[in-house]
Amino acid sequence: MKSSKSDLLQGTLDLLILRTLASGDMHGWGISQRLQQISQDVLQVNQGSLYPALYRLEQQGWIESSWGDSENNRRAKFYALTRSGRKQLAEETANWERITAAVARVLQHA
Amino acid sequence: MSVLTTFRRLRGSVRTSAFEQHMDAELRHHLDLETEALVARGMTPDAARDSARRRFGSVALVKDDCRESWGMRAIDMLAQDVRVALRNLGKYPSYTAVVLLTLALGIGANTAIFSVVHAVLLRPLPYTNGDRLVEVRQQAPKSGVANAGVSVKEINDYRAQTDALDAVVEYHQMSFNMLGRGEASRVQTGVVSANFFDVLGVTPLLGRTFRADDDSKNAPAVLVLSYAYWQHALGGDPGIVGRTFELNDRLHTVVGVLPPIPQFPQSDPPDDVYMPPSACPFRSNPQTIENRNARMLTAIGRLKPGATLERAQNDLAVVMSRLSTEYPDAYNAKNTGFQASALSVHNELTQQARPTLLVLLAVTGFVLLLVAANIANLALARVIGRERELALRSALGAGRGRIARQLLTESTLLAVAGGALGLLVGWLVRDLLVAFTARFTPRAEEIAIDGVVLAFTFGVSVFTGLLFGLLPAFTRRTSASVQDAGHRTVGSRRLGARNALIVAQVAISFMLLVGAGLLVRSFIKLQQVDAGFRTDRVLTALVSLDFVKYATPVVRQTFYRSVLDKVAAEPGVEMAALGITAPLDQAAPFLTGFIVEGQAPDEKAVKRVDFKFASPNYFKTIGMTLLSGRPFTDADDATAPPVVIVNLSMARHNFPDIDPIGRRISLNNGRTWMTIVGLVNDTHDYGLNEKPTDEIYRAFAQTSPLNATLLVRTAADPASFGRRVPALVHDVDARQPVSQIRTLEAIRSHSLAPPRLTAMLVTLFAGVALIITAAGIAGVVSFSVNQRTTEIGVRMALGAPRSSVVRMIVRQGLTPVTLGLACGLAGALLMTRVVARLLFAVEPTDPVTYAAVIATLAAVAALACLVPARRAAAIDPMRALRAE
Repeated sequence: MKSSKSDLLQGTLDLLILRTLASGDMHGWGISQRLQQISQDVLQVNQGSLYPALYRLEQQGWIESSWGDSENNRRAKFYALTRSGRKQLAEETANWERITAAVARVLQHA
Repeated sequence: MSVLTTFRRLRGSVRTSAFEQHMDAELRHHLDLETEALVARGMTPDAARDSARRRFGSVALVKDDCRESWGMRAIDMLAQDVRVALRNLGKYPSYTAVVLLTLALGIGANTAIFSVVHAVLLRPLPYTNGDRLVEVRQQAPKSGVANAGVSVKEINDYRAQTDALDAVVEYHQMSFNMLGRGEASRVQTGVVSANFFDVLGVTPLLGRTFRADDDSKNAPAVLVLSYAYWQHALGGDPGIVGRTFELNDRLHTVVGVLPPIPQFPQSDPPDDVYMPPSACPFRSNPQTIENRNARMLTAIGRLKPGATLERAQNDLAVVMSRLSTEYPDAYNAKNTGFQASALSVHNELTQQARPTLLVLLAVTGFVLLLVAANIANLALARVIGRERELALRSALGAGRGRIARQLLTESTLLAVAGGALGLLVGWLVRDLLVAFTARFTPRAEEIAIDGVVLAFTFGVSVFTGLLFGLLPAFTRRTSASVQDAGHRTVGSRRLGARNALIVAQVAISFMLLVGAGLLVRSFIKLQQVDAGFRTDRVLTALVSLDFVKYATPVVRQTFYRSVLDKVAAEPGVEMAALGITAPLDQAAPFLTGFIVEGQAPDEKAVKRVDFKFASPNYFKTIGMTLLSGRPFTDADDATAPPVVIVNLSMARHNFPDIDPIGRRISLNNGRTWMTIVGLVNDTHDYGLNEKPTDEIYRAFAQTSPLNATLLVRTAADPASFGRRVPALVHDVDARQPVSQIRTLEAIRSHSLAPPRLTAMLVTLFAGVALIITAAGIAGVVSFSVNQRTTEIGVRMALGAPRSSVVRMIVRQGLTPVTLGLACGLAGALLMTRVVARLLFAVEPTDPVTYAAVIATLAAVAALACLVPARRAAAIDPMRALRAE
C-alpha cells in the first residue's frame, strides 16, 4: 500500500538496515544493538519499529531470513542481504550521499 | 454472510499459520535478549523486562505493522474498513436510512424493469428452436390488408417449395364447449399441425404432444392442455393424462400437458387446449382444403439450421410470384400487391412491448443516476461535516488513499445493502409487473429474478456505490489540518461539485417530468376521445354455440331469440341486443371486400370494409345515433330481403355525393345484394387511438353466427346483473356456456390500461425525482447558509436589509437550477423520439408540457431555496459575528 520511499524516516531506516546487514547476517535484536552502537545512540528508534521494516524488506526481496541457533544456543531468525538487496543498498547509498551533500551545500551557502 | 465467513476462514488460516508463530517467537526472542542485556548491566529482572518492553514499543502495534508489511493486511483492512463503516453509518441513522431508502427505490426500480427487459426482449424464446421460428405472413398492401391469413393449399405450397424452411406448420383458433364438468364452459382451442410442438421445440411437461396418426381421419379425439388451463381449471392434477372430456359432441382424451411457455401465435383469450386439424370441422371440410382463398390459418416456418431470415424471405417471394402467375384469380397481385414475408417470431411476440419497455428502462436508469447524484451530495455534505474526524485520522497516519478507501467502503456497503433492498423491491413487485407486461406480450410469465438479474442488480449496486462514493473521496482537500477543519469556509471546489450535482439532478428531473407530462397529456387526450358509443350501464357476455348442436341458422336464431326475450324481460334491464363482438374488445377489424351496385369495380383499389352484426336494439343499447334511415327491426329476419346499416365513414368514402340509403352492396361479387337502410355515427371500435374504420352492420337475424356477444343496458349497476346472465341462458339451454361477462366500461378501461399504466409509472418516477431534487436543492442551499453565517452577519451588520439577503440566497441557489433546466431542456429535446411512439395526439415537443414542467420545477426549486433563505435572514448579526 505505502510506497517505501515516500517517507524519509522510513527510507532511512531501510537504508540503515541494509547497510548493517552488509557486514554479515544478523537477527533483529543484533541489528538494533548494532544501529545504536554505531550511531552512538543518536538514532534512537523504537526497537519494535525495526520489525515491520524487516518484513517489508523481505517482501521486497532485498533481504532473506532463516532460523538458526544464536550465540547462546537459542533459536533465532537471522536476516541476510540478497543480491538485489546489495544493489539496492548501493543505489540508496549513492542517493543518500547526493541528498546529504546537497542539503549540506544549501546549509552552508544559502 | 457467506462472504464474511470466507473472509474469516481465509484470515484464520493465515493467522494460525507458521507466520504468526514465527513472528511471536522472533519478537519474544528480541525481548529476551534485551532483558538479558539490561540484567547484565545490573538491572533487576523485573525492571529489565519493563524497560525492554518500553524500548520495544507496543507489541500488538508492531505485530499489526508486521502483518501489514507482510501484505496480508489487505483482508484485515477490508474487514476493518467494513467495521468502521458500519460504526460510522450507525452513528448517522437518518442519513443511512435516507440513503438506503432512495437506493432501494432506485435499484429496485432498475431491477424490476431489467427483469422484464431480460425476460421479454433479451432472453431467447423458451422453445428449443425459438430463434429459428418465423411466421409466414401473407399481405395485400394495396388493399390495406396487413395480414391476409394463409390457406391450406398455400401452406402445402410453402412446405414443398421453400428451401430455407425445413418445416411449415399451421395454427388457428376455435372454441369448443366443454360439458360434464359442472357448468358448461367454453374452451379456447388452438388447432395445430400434428408436428406443431415438435417444430417449435416444445417438450411436454406430462404425456406427449401430437403424433401424425392423431390427425388421421378416424383417429380417436385427443387433447393437449396448456399449462395455465391445467393449473387453473384442473388444479394441476398430475394424473390428468388419460382422462376424457366431452367437448361439443365427442369424448376427447388428454394425451399431454405443455410446459409454461408464451403462446404463439398470440390470441386473446389464450388457448386452453390444443387439437390436431382433423378435430376442426371447418378446417377438415374439403371445401376449405381445396379453396386457395380460404385463408383461415396462421403459418409458422422453421429456418433450416444456418438459414437466414433473408433467405426465407427470398424463397417466399419466389414461391409467391410463381403462385400469382399460376393462380391469377386467387391473388390479383397487380391490384392487391399480394406478397408473403417471413417475420421473426421472437420479434412478433415482443415488438408491442419494446417501445414501452425501452422508455421505462431509460426512466429507471435516470432515476438511478438521480439517486446517485443525490446521495453523492449528501455524502459530500457529510464528509465536510466529518472533516475534523478525517483530519484527525489523517494526522494519526492514515494515508490519503486509506481515507478515500474508507469512504468508498462506506458507499459500497450502503450501495450493496441498498441493492439487497432493491432486490426485495423487485421481487415484491414481480406479480404487478407480470400483470402490467401481460398487456403487451405473452412472455410476461417468464419474468423472474434469475442469475442474470441478480448479477445486473449487484453490478448496478456496486457501480452506484462507486459513483456516489468517488466524488466525496476525491474532492477531499489535500491539506486539512485538525485545527481549521470544519471551521473555515469550505473551498469553492466542494460547493462547485455540489452545484454540479444539482444541475444534473434538475436536468434529469426535467426530462422525467417532460416524459411523464407528455404521457399524461396523451392519456387524457385518449380518454377524451368520443368513442361514438356510451359505455355506462352496459353489460356484455360472450355466447359461443356448439357448432354440432346448432348446425343451422334456424336453430341458432331460435336460441338467440329466446335468450334476448328472457334477458329483456328481466327486471332492471332496459334493453338487450346481440352483436358479434363488444366494441373495443378486439385488436383488429375483419376486413372484407365488397362492391357497390352501379359503381364499376375499381381495379386499382378493392373496396374493403369491416363488417359486424347487429340486432334491432344494438345501436340504442350502446348509445349510438341513427343519423338517417331506419334501424333494424324484428321483421329483418332470414326470410326478409337482406339489409345493412353503414357508418358515416363508410358512407363518406363510398357515397361522397349521394344519399347511401336505398343503395345496394354485395359482399360476394354480386351474387346477392343487400340494401342500405340506415346510417349511424362512427365509433372507435378497435382502440380509441385508432381512426374509425368503415363499417357495415348486417341484420343479426339474417346471419345468425355461431358466436355472439350479448349487450345489456341495465337501469342500475350492470356488474351485479352479470351473475344473472348464465342462469338466463341456461334456462334456454342448460348446456350452453357463457363467458367473458364484463361491463363495457371495464372493456374500455382494459383497452386503455397500457397507456394508463405506463403514464402512471413514469409519473410516479418523475414525482419521486422531483421530491429528491427539491430535497437536494434545499440541502445545498441550507448548507451554504450555514457555512456563510458570519458573512451574512457582516452584510446585515453593514446594513443589508433582510429581503436582500433572502434574494441573494435564493438567487445563488437558483443558479444551478437554471443551468439544470437548460441542460434538461436540451436532453428532453434529444429524447423526444424515444417517447414519441407512445404518444397520442400530443407532439413530443408539446410546448404546454414543457412550459408546465419548467414552471413546476422552477416553483419547487424556489420553494426549496426559500426555506433556508428565510433562515439566513433570521440570523442575528451580532451573534453571528461573536461566534467567530
